[in-house]
This record gives sequence, C-alpha cells and structure tokens, in this order.
Amino acid sequence: MGMIAELSDVVLPVFLCAAIGFAWAKLKFPFNNEIVTSLVFNIGAPALILATFAKVELSPTALAELAGAALAAYAAFGVIGLAVLKFARLAPSAYLPALMFPLTGSMGLPVCLFAFGPDGLALALVFFVIGIIGIFTIGVTVAAGKFSLATLLRTPAIYAVIVAVILEITGTELPQWAFNTTDLLGDIVIPTQLIALGVALAGLKVSSMGRSVSLAALRLGMGVLVGLAVAELFGLSGTARAVVVLQSAMPVAVSSYLFAQLYKREPEEVAGMVLVSTGISFVTLPLLLMLVL
Amino acid sequence: MLAQIASIIAPIFLCACVGFFWGRFDKPFDSRMVTMLSLNLGIPALIFSTLTKLEVPIDAFLRIGGIYFIATLCALIFGYGFCRIFRIDPRTYVPVLAFSNAGNMGLPLSLFTFGEEGLALGICIFVISSICGLTIGPAIFSGRTSFDVVYRNPPIYGILAALLFMAAGLQPPRWLANVTEILGGMSISFMIISLGVAVSRIKVQRLARGIMLSAVKLMLGFALGVGIAESFGLIGAERGVIILVCSMPVAMHNYLFAERFDRNSSEIAGMVLISTAMAYVTLPALLWFVL
Repeated sequence: MGMIAELSDVVLPVFLCAAIGFAWAKLKFPFNNEIVTSLVFNIGAPALILATFAKVELSPTALAELAGAALAAYAAFGVIGLAVLKFARLAPSAYLPALMFPLTGSMGLPVCLFAFGPDGLALALVFFVIGIIGIFTIGVTVAAGKFSLATLLRTPAIYAVIVAVILEITGTELPQWAFNTTDLLGDIVIPTQLIALGVALAGLKVSSMGRSVSLAALRLGMGVLVGLAVAELFGLSGTARAVVVLQSAMPVAVSSYLFAQLYKREPEEVAGMVLVSTGISFVTLPLLLMLVL
Repeated sequence: MLAQIASIIAPIFLCACVGFFWGRFDKPFDSRMVTMLSLNLGIPALIFSTLTKLEVPIDAFLRIGGIYFIATLCALIFGYGFCRIFRIDPRTYVPVLAFSNAGNMGLPLSLFTFGEEGLALGICIFVISSICGLTIGPAIFSGRTSFDVVYRNPPIYGILAALLFMAAGLQPPRWLANVTEILGGMSISFMIISLGVAVSRIKVQRLARGIMLSAVKLMLGFALGVGIAESFGLIGAERGVIILVCSMPVAMHNYLFAERFDRNSSEIAGMVLISTAMAYVTLPALLWFVL
C-alpha cells in the first residue's frame, strides 16, 4: 500500500496534468503552443534553473558527475540508435533525434521532482540541459543536414547554467528578492509543459503504427538499459542513479516531432513514436519507479 | 526591514516587467488563453492548495474572519458610494477598490510583522478575503445577478473542495497536493506576467486616473482598517493585521475577472501595479504605524 501511494504521488500528477492538456485541446479551448514555448524557453526554464540550483545543497562534484553520466547516456543512445537504423535501413535524419533525445523536460522534470524533491529536480535539470545542447547541435545537424551554433547561443537556459555554475563555484547566494523572483517565474515551466504535452498528444496525426511501435519500444527499452549501465559505470547511487535511469528511459520527446515537421522528415511516423512511447510510459513509469526508488 | 519588503514586492514587479517588455517588444501573447488557464485551472488549484496547506485555528477564524468580512462589506459600500459620487462605473471599480491583496502580499507581511501569531491571523483573513473576492468579485464584474455566474466560476469549486477537506480536518492525498501546487504556482506567475503585458498596452491618459484611483484604494483601505480596529476595540497583532491587510494594494484576481467580463482590464492591470508600487513607498510608514 505504501509503495502504491508513493508511486501514485509521482505518476498521477504527471498523468493528470497531461490529461488536462489533452482535454483542453479536445474542448477546443485556446492554447497557443508557440507563446507558451516561447515563455518557457526564454523566461521560465532559465529562471527554474537559477532558482533550483539556489535551493539545493548539491556539491559541484555531484553535479559534474551527473553531467558526465548524461553525456555518456546521450552518446550511447546516438551510437545504438544509429546502428539499429543502419541495420533496418531507415533514414537517421528522420528517426535518430527521436531515439536519441528523450522527453527529459515535460515529463522527466516533474517525475524527478515529485519522486525526489528539489534535489531530484536539480539533477534532472542537468540531464535536461545537456539534452537541449545535444538537440540544438547534433539533433538539428542530423535533421536539417547542416550545423548551426546560432540556435544554441540563443538558448537562455545555457546562460542560466553558466550563472548558476559561477554562483556555485564562488559560493555566492542569490539575494532573497532575486531568488523569490526566479522561483516565481520558474513555476510556469513544469505545469505548462505537461499541459502542452497533453495538447500536443491530442493534435498528433498518426498514419501507420507498425514501425512507430517498434521504434518507440526501442527508445524505452534502450533507455532503461543504457540508464542502468551508465549509472553503474559512473558508480552512481541513490537519487543520482534514479535520475539518470528515469531521464534515460523517458519517451520520445515532442520536440523530435516538431523537428520532423519543420524539416519534413516523416513527421507522421515520428508522431506515432511520440504517442506510442508516451502511452507505454504511463503504464511502465510505475514499474520503472519501483526499480529505482 | 527594507530588504524584507523588497523580497516581497520585487518579485511581483520583476515578473510584471517581464510581461511589460514582452508586450513592448510585441512578442506574441494571448491574454485570453492565459486568463482561461488561470481562471479554469490555476486559481482553483491555487486556492485549494493554499487553503488545505494552512492550519486555521477555528475560534480565531470565526472572530477575526468575521471582523474582516464586515470590513469587506464596508469597503464594498464605501467603494459604491465613491463610484456614484465621481460617476465612474461601479461594476468595474467597486471590486477594485474593495478587494485587497491579502494573499501574496498580506500573508508574508503579517508573518514578517507579527511572527507566527500574525501569520495565523493573516491566514484567517486570507480565507475570507479569497472567498469574497472570488465570489462577490465576479458577481459584480459580470454585471448581472444570475445563478450561472456563481456555478460557472471554477474558483468556487476550488474553495468548496478545500472547505470540505478543512472541515473534515483531512489533508488531501499527496498526488492531489502535488497537482494543485504546480497548477497553482503557474497561475501566480502567469497572472503577473499578464498584468505586465496589459500595462504595456495601456493608454497614457488612462494612467492618470489609475494613479488617482490607486491612491484612493490605499487611503480608503487604511481608513477602513483603522475604523474597524477602533470600533471592535482590537489591540496588538489583531489590530495590526486588520489594518495591514485592509491597506494592501488592489488584489490581482480583479484583473482576471475584468479581462473575462471585458471591463477595462488593462486599466485595472495598471491599478494593480500602481497600487503595488505605491505600497512599496507607504509600507514602511504603515508598518511603523501598526507596530
């Protein structure tokens, strides 16, 4: 009973908020994804990073270790994904970003927050930011066929990380007013991203399911295994281990769908992968939590 | 003391600045979406989450809450009188003059000024103030007295659910607390950013009236607070907290209802921010007066 209650504390809020978003879209209530994304990307996410790192007492070593583990995990996803796609003769430009970058933001952050509190959120943010850097460099290069540093440099979250790291190293604390402000602004990230996830799921156009199902299964299966292996390799334990496994095993990111749409790389198939892997996740998430809690 | 006041007021301002520059740079913003998200999800969640987290001492609640309820009724009557005398639309300005920001300003200030005792009193007042603001408020703004204004007002369900839990002395299950906490957190930031955007679109001639009405709100509130405290013979923390909360700036939810019922919402957004800015100046004197 205790276990079930503990699991539902984590899974139900995530599921409910996404369900609210789904219903919101089905009821045709206004939801302008562009505005919400822009607010979160430019204001909310950087504020959340600053406030969360100011809130927690994690050693710089612990954060660096997690960053290393995250890099290793993304690299492993890339290599395994590329190998499988070559073997199956599928175009990496369409599918690799979807396999490589899990939904570490909209789903990974709330799961880690509800399961492990602010410490979990801080570690999950490290994993998430490295993913963003990956998406804007490798992801865009793979999907668009060209490399551009400009998008990365226009990402405010990167600068928030730099400021947070400087504060951490110099042992400076944010003044109370600055902390309160970033805390307030950061509050928009998690709920709006979960609602946006639901809205996005409601709007996905899926044609064929066959290939999507196996690729979605690959994303999730590979995620758990790589997560466990990387955690083992880096000798992580406790919250850090759990965060690496959870973040690695998240479903296909909605942003992969947006990329596929933008660069016209099989968006409907990627939509299927998002939908199927997210659907499976809602079922497997409790099991995954049992594994790491 | 100034640093303490700054840590309460600065976040509201900086958040509003974000919205202001967002609007000034003509970045796309959809007030209708934000209002709908706040009124239908955020505010009900916020009110549920805040109320169920508080421990309300019941006898103090009946006493001080009752007194604050009378203060609110007086504020509504005086506000109506003022609107009549100066020939401005009471449907728009009575709630703005009557409902103070008892939540994100009243609560921290009560705690900061009178410690735990002040916080407990502030909480009792906040419960009454949110119930009045979220029920009487939209009833006035909507401009008609019909039952659907009440039941088509989602914050009411947040209040009812919270009151059920409070009456039964139950804590909501963790998952419900988690959901309502994050959705509630979203509504505060959204509301303030949205205020900033609305103010960036305000016309300057409207600003003058906003400044005057904000000053009226603060003075009316202060006079009322002192009057109520005197007539009930309140002393110490009870007197202080009543005066403090009555003198708070315009409550933010007024803006949401003004937007929803299409009543000069950008001017009201301006009044929320102007009265908050004025409070920054008047607060040190106010705190000195009540202490």
